[in-house]
Amino acid sequence: MPNLDDIQKVLIIGGGPTEIGHETELDSAMVQIITGFKKRGVRTLVIDNNPFSVALEEIQPTNMYVQAVTTANVRHILEKDQPDAVLPSLGGLLGIRIAQELVENGDIGRLGITLLGMPADTLRQINNPAALNASLKEIHEPVIEAKIVATTDEAMGLVESIGFPLIVKPVAPRVDTNRTICENVDDMLTALNQGFQQSRFDQCTLERSVVGYKEIEMVAVRDVADTAVLISGLEDMDPIGIHSGDSILVTPPQTLNDREYQDLRDATFRIATELNIVGVLHIHFALNPANQHFYVTKVAPYFSRGVALAARTTGYPVALVTGALLLGQRLVDVKLPSRFVKQTAIMEPTIDHISVRIPLWPFQEVPDADQHLDTVMKAVGSTVGIGRSVEEAILKSVRSSQFSPRDVLPSVSNLTDGEMIRQLIHPLANRILVLIEALRRGYSPEELSELTKIDNFYFVKLRHLLTIEKQIQDHPMDTETLQRARYFGFGDGMIARIWQTDTAAIRELSAQAAIQPTYKMIEPTAGEFPEDTSGYYSTFEYENESQPLGDRTALVLGRGGNQLGPNSAAEYFTTEMLKQLKRAGYHTILMNTNPNAVGIAPEFSDKQYVDPIQLGDVLNVIQLEHPDIVIVPGNRHYLTRELSKLPLNLHVLPPDQETGKPAPKSATIGVSLFIHGQQKVAVGVMDMLAPGMNKSLAQVTAFRMPAELPKAKRANLVELAKQAASERQMTGMIQVLFAPKSADSAQLAVVGVRPTRLTEVAFLSKVTGVNWVRMLTRQHIGTLDETELANISVDLNSTRVALMNAVFPFRQLHVLNRPGTTDQEVGATIAFGSSEALSLANLSDTDELDQIINRTI
Amino acid sequence: MAKRYLILEDGSAYAGEGFGAGATTSGEVITNLNLLGYQETITDQIYHNQIIIFAQPAIGNVGINHDSYESILPTAKGMVVRDVTNISTNRLSRLSLDEFLQQHNIPGISGIDTRHLIRKLRQGAGPMKGSIVDVADAHAFDQLNATVLTNRQVDQVATPKPYPNPDTGKNVVVIDFGLKHGILRQLSERRCNVTVLPWTASAQDVLNLDPDGVLLSTGPGSPLDLGTGVLDMIREVQAEIPLFAIGLGHELFALANGAELKALPVEYHGSSHPIRRIITNDIIYATQGQGYAVIAKSIDRDRLITTYVDLIDGTVQGLRHRDFPAFSVQFFADGAPGPHESRDLFDEFMEAMTAREG
Repeated sequence: MPNLDDIQKVLIIGGGPTEIGHETELDSAMVQIITGFKKRGVRTLVIDNNPFSVALEEIQPTNMYVQAVTTANVRHILEKDQPDAVLPSLGGLLGIRIAQELVENGDIGRLGITLLGMPADTLRQINNPAALNASLKEIHEPVIEAKIVATTDEAMGLVESIGFPLIVKPVAPRVDTNRTICENVDDMLTALNQGFQQSRFDQCTLERSVVGYKEIEMVAVRDVADTAVLISGLEDMDPIGIHSGDSILVTPPQTLNDREYQDLRDATFRIATELNIVGVLHIHFALNPANQHFYVTKVAPYFSRGVALAARTTGYPVALVTGALLLGQRLVDVKLPSRFVKQTAIMEPTIDHISVRIPLWPFQEVPDADQHLDTVMKAVGSTVGIGRSVEEAILKSVRSSQFSPRDVLPSVSNLTDGEMIRQLIHPLANRILVLIEALRRGYSPEELSELTKIDNFYFVKLRHLLTIEKQIQDHPMDTETLQRARYFGFGDGMIARIWQTDTAAIRELSAQAAIQPTYKMIEPTAGEFPEDTSGYYSTFEYENESQPLGDRTALVLGRGGNQLGPNSAAEYFTTEMLKQLKRAGYHTILMNTNPNAVGIAPEFSDKQYVDPIQLGDVLNVIQLEHPDIVIVPGNRHYLTRELSKLPLNLHVLPPDQETGKPAPKSATIGVSLFIHGQQKVAVGVMDMLAPGMNKSLAQVTAFRMPAELPKAKRANLVELAKQAASERQMTGMIQVLFAPKSADSAQLAVVGVRPTRLTEVAFLSKVTGVNWVRMLTRQHIGTLDETELANISVDLNSTRVALMNAVFPFRQLHVLNRPGTTDQEVGATIAFGSSEALSLANLSDTDELDQIINRTI
Repeated sequence: MAKRYLILEDGSAYAGEGFGAGATTSGEVITNLNLLGYQETITDQIYHNQIIIFAQPAIGNVGINHDSYESILPTAKGMVVRDVTNISTNRLSRLSLDEFLQQHNIPGISGIDTRHLIRKLRQGAGPMKGSIVDVADAHAFDQLNATVLTNRQVDQVATPKPYPNPDTGKNVVVIDFGLKHGILRQLSERRCNVTVLPWTASAQDVLNLDPDGVLLSTGPGSPLDLGTGVLDMIREVQAEIPLFAIGLGHELFALANGAELKALPVEYHGSSHPIRRIITNDIIYATQGQGYAVIAKSIDRDRLITTYVDLIDGTVQGLRHRDFPAFSVQFFADGAPGPHESRDLFDEFMEAMTAREG
């Protein structure tokens, strides 16, 4: 064991851009770990190329490597900066792979660098399923092994030990093939014959099929002294066969008995010990509901969405604790901020509420993707609903995931019976609505459980919701019914729709009948100790635990779950805004449902409400907190309109991106200005790049700053931009768009003015070193003065060039790679360099842009 | 479902919906913080005369299973929950929780702000009696206040007659104070040939069976109400054969060896507290359920060694005799429900029995 006391400098391998598989949760954990390291006097270096990273705002520029997260780049930093240790677990699976390569090629050993979180041997096993299986077998943990066969005789010999159903898969297939699930010998022989032909080596693998088993996940932390705490179990409502990232997730698990749960807890700890994990560990299991046997299906000793969900829904400070454990502290010695009861780190969380996480899929923006949910993850985000009953948690998460401005659930009643059954068996993104529809049409929970392999329990709960819905229908404006409906999670908008009235009428009736929300704290001791964790959710019970924060409060509404479009950038925006509001002396309150959000970590606001960002729920919080300022995100038009009818100090941030005016068809140069009173600060002149044939504005998804123009030309464009801005009387951060006057002209003309997009606000902040989100926030709250702004000088002609390029989810969605549009972005990468290095000459497609950005420095 | 009330000694009343039996019952109100295991909890005899408030909000989700009984005839006085599901989903279940409670005349009440009650009871209000009633009127409160709960709890739940649980291994006598079945399951797994004796058994009764070891079981109520006969028995037996004591058995073992007990300001039932195993300095978790604790200062260090301690409330969680192969734990080492990592104490017991032979 290396001496962790000597560690003074750590390199964190970042997670890179947001994409399918990881969102902002890595950034969120990184911020907290960096803060913890700082407190312990450890200097942190970070390599990451995510322009929307909040973590990169938290460290000194000298400790920041804005570079592609590659093995070569990491090696370069290790050699140049000689850190004492490297931390891979904040970079997800990529971080683990890079660390392993550095071990394997001898760099880690040669440079005498300590690995934090796990030993080299574990890195190797995480990257090598066969090796991992071997060591899990050694400690008697059941794993699913794939056996290679070259003849049907060999296969027949294995049938008994594997058992049906089993899966046949060709080895190194010539064509893109699927796994075949075989129920009997005939199935298997057919699949083998086909598989041998498809395989380049005339071989197939055979393995036990666990399709239809329950998928259960366990999240734990462990210290160097082998003390481990189970943070949370997570139950996938959908069975194995649907990727856990695409499944509705319930925590704590609802359909396990205590023995099953404890067996999985035991296995988790044994694996943590065997692999010598220090910090977080997230394990997936396949549990056979018929006989309680289980298999280990995935071992993830790194930060993940599951870890983020466990942290958010238990209130256990996973990242803070992990930061301490990584530096060799024991759980029993971890000191937490005073809002926690002293020994919270070493108490195993016990939870008195239920959380349901629903994925969000990008099919609206990428309609040509195969929309079936299967073993490949397609979701880009998720929302969580927390309640005191399963019904309440489900409804709150559904209400958050559907993004209906009026808080009603879409109807799928137009499905034919045949279509419905097909969708029950081959689920699509509206899974939960189809399950409810099937119950509505009279299918019994048992039948549906048989068909979907979803536990009967969930259908009983969903059916209960239909009973309540019926009661609402039958008893208009009845207060007892209203009480019951709210108690089980129905939103004001849903009830209003059924009673054919408006939200205001529902709220009035609620007030008359004193049916008021009670907020409960999200804390890890189930009420045993007076924790003060600052996270709350609503329910309709006896005791309210949330006391108003008092004077000078700002309520910030989040954007909910991640979707395609500028969401990571919006998350960056919201978090920086919260920081600025705090700095300006506000008590800050955040309302959000995205468990992976950076800003929802308790570090960034004084209070967090995990409740649907719908009118009724927002008004409930406003009624309790009486905030001095309410900030609503620009994409929530209905909410903004409704809130603006009330006497509130309302601000729209991040700013609304829609101007109501038609956008120009295309643009090649954007000039961003920050306008405040008489001041117009030029923030940047950038090339707007639309890789691909059709250079429309919607395809402008890459940016280079400064633009490849002569100095004088840039100055000239800034002047033209200022003129254009004066004519239009806009304030805030705007972008004046330029395009050539005609196809063969080099003359540029103003073609439009719009608010600077959130992605570019983040880009401009990273490039100029001025946090423009702070400026915008201060402009709104009235603490920005003109002279201060006048003193900001941005070098529009910097010789250091920056390039930002959007990341699209096309590869994961198996759709043809093509130039994406701005509403298909999932994340972005950024690079800095000399003008030669980042020159765009001869650029013809996105891949080339990626190459420029991701090349090794 | 019928509207019913939970009323408490402090005058408060909470409206909810009744489930299970429609009986009106009174008992001591206690809180259980375990994440799962409602069946094990409701059937554990330590809850005799108690109304259990569950922190886990959704109850009944997996029905009633044949292998989750901690006793066949539960004697708890009631269940207070936020949400109950009347279901039998588990492949082994034949029974819903609702039906089970009806069969055993135990009332339940759902729709209660259990978090509020747990905060109230855990964070200050202290122990109190409560009733599940149909009408929360003055009469109901009078009845509640007049209720005197028996202190002969062990008599009510422990076996009056000996019975065997045969196997082929070590001969173990289990003294039943309100035995939970998890203990028998752990002994069965280790092939022990068990004879269960009533708690009134004398040392002679025990030794007549020529056991390899003796186990003092868990049970309800105060150890101080059981008289001195049982302490004499323990003192005599521990000098002759290996002894392992759990829960109430641990409290009696401490008393028999000169230690004193205190009543806790509020009972603790949960499994989230870290417990330090002093000899190895590692930390384990176990289901705890206690209203009493050994006073650390009262321990005669010439006779007893403290082996486990709760790091949250500092209570003594385990003792070992200096001179005899006799040891005890306050927590439930059988792990039903709850964490399993203290089950190795049964192995320790086996080793003690083997060592005696050798």
